[in-house]
Amino acid sequence: MRNLFNFIIRNSHWLLATLLVTFGFYLVFTHNSYQRSVYFTSANHVTGWFYSLSRNVTSFFHLRKNNRLLLERNAELEGMILALREQIASLAAADSADVNIFVGDSLSQPQFGFIPAEVVNLNFSGVNNFITINKGALHGIKSDMGVISAGGGVVGVISVVSPKFSLVIPIINSKFRLSARLKNSENYGSISWDGASIGEVQLQELPKHEDFHAGDTVLTSFSRIFPRNLIIGFVSTEGHSKDDNFNTFNVRPATDFYMLQDVLVIDDAYYGEQKQLEETLHQ
Amino acid sequence: MKLKLSYIYEVAFFAALILFQVLLLNRISLFGIATPVFYVYFLLKLTAGRNLHYVIISAFLMGLIIDIFLNTPGMNATAITVVAAFRKNISSFFFEKIGYDDFVPGMNTAAGPFVRFTCLMVFLHLTLLFFIESFTLFNLKNTLLRIAVSSAVTIPLIIATDSLMFRGKSGEQ
Repeated sequence: MRNLFNFIIRNSHWLLATLLVTFGFYLVFTHNSYQRSVYFTSANHVTGWFYSLSRNVTSFFHLRKNNRLLLERNAELEGMILALREQIASLAAADSADVNIFVGDSLSQPQFGFIPAEVVNLNFSGVNNFITINKGALHGIKSDMGVISAGGGVVGVISVVSPKFSLVIPIINSKFRLSARLKNSENYGSISWDGASIGEVQLQELPKHEDFHAGDTVLTSFSRIFPRNLIIGFVSTEGHSKDDNFNTFNVRPATDFYMLQDVLVIDDAYYGEQKQLEETLHQ
Repeated sequence: MKLKLSYIYEVAFFAALILFQVLLLNRISLFGIATPVFYVYFLLKLTAGRNLHYVIISAFLMGLIIDIFLNTPGMNATAITVVAAFRKNISSFFFEKIGYDDFVPGMNTAAGPFVRFTCLMVFLHLTLLFFIESFTLFNLKNTLLRIAVSSAVTIPLIIATDSLMFRGKSGEQ
């Protein structure tokens, strides 16, 4: 008996290590479906605050560049407004009934609202990349909302929301899926990420006969989360395809994830209604 | 050989390594695959005869704090705890046992063995870490590549830092 105790005391550090490792694995297996881990993530109060503090310092150095980007974007939008005004004016002259298509019903609300947010943390070191932003449930953010960059490119989808912070699953996450199409075509495929490079995502399941050129624009297709025709990225090369009937393309994302600072969260007023309707089928 | 880290110094070292890892190194993604994992340096610099319970618990805490910041609950903690548990066995393999308990491994005390010690510790840690992370066997080739490239980035970083930080102190022996 004494020998047993001696043995245990002499090797107690192994016992301790085993216990801690077991606890570590317990954490790995229970918390890594990240939805459950709201209070154990960077969307948490303390770590979120900490990241936003360090982000405040770094964002200061990007002000100049962001200002320029905003001005450019502003100019582009001004141009579009002018063009649309002219179009409406010319149509108004032709037939007043047509104009009403553009004016819309004054009772209805716009479908999409945008909640601006700032990125406080980016983590691109593994296959499960994520982004933390500084707006949360208090600002009206819910899970499954789409996120785009200030320049208009698709960034990802909100996954976990805490009162003041939210986690975004970006398109460069192996769990991300989104239906997409080439700009000049109606056939749609699926966007996913193979984990190889942050600068490239894959557009899969496009029909083989689909014509393509490097540099073609890839847009969002049917999606419950994103409006149609948002820019996802640009075709770079033809990728490796699993199936002979389908093409796979490598796509360079329109969003520069290394430079990402300001994002817009898409608040779709019809999301709840559409989801409810579609889920009646499964009941 | 009285280069022992005092406790206060050690706590500051602990915190500094975590900040360095979380705020700087984890934003680096070399070729999209390699991230320097510098915080193992903490285990390398503890005195050789340090109480094993202390080593294991502090390593676990360090891994856990880093996990909380990186949203990878348990991954870093598990990997570094295993490395901490084997630390004494590994170090006795490389260093002579003279004045062993107060001995701080480093470039200034024993350059050759320290480099070998660093290589093995870092490689062991990264192997565990990346295999725990990619438990789904998602892209095995990629995992091996990440271990290799991350080791190749981390090891020189640690050796360079150690050479610079403890430079010139070898004369005090």
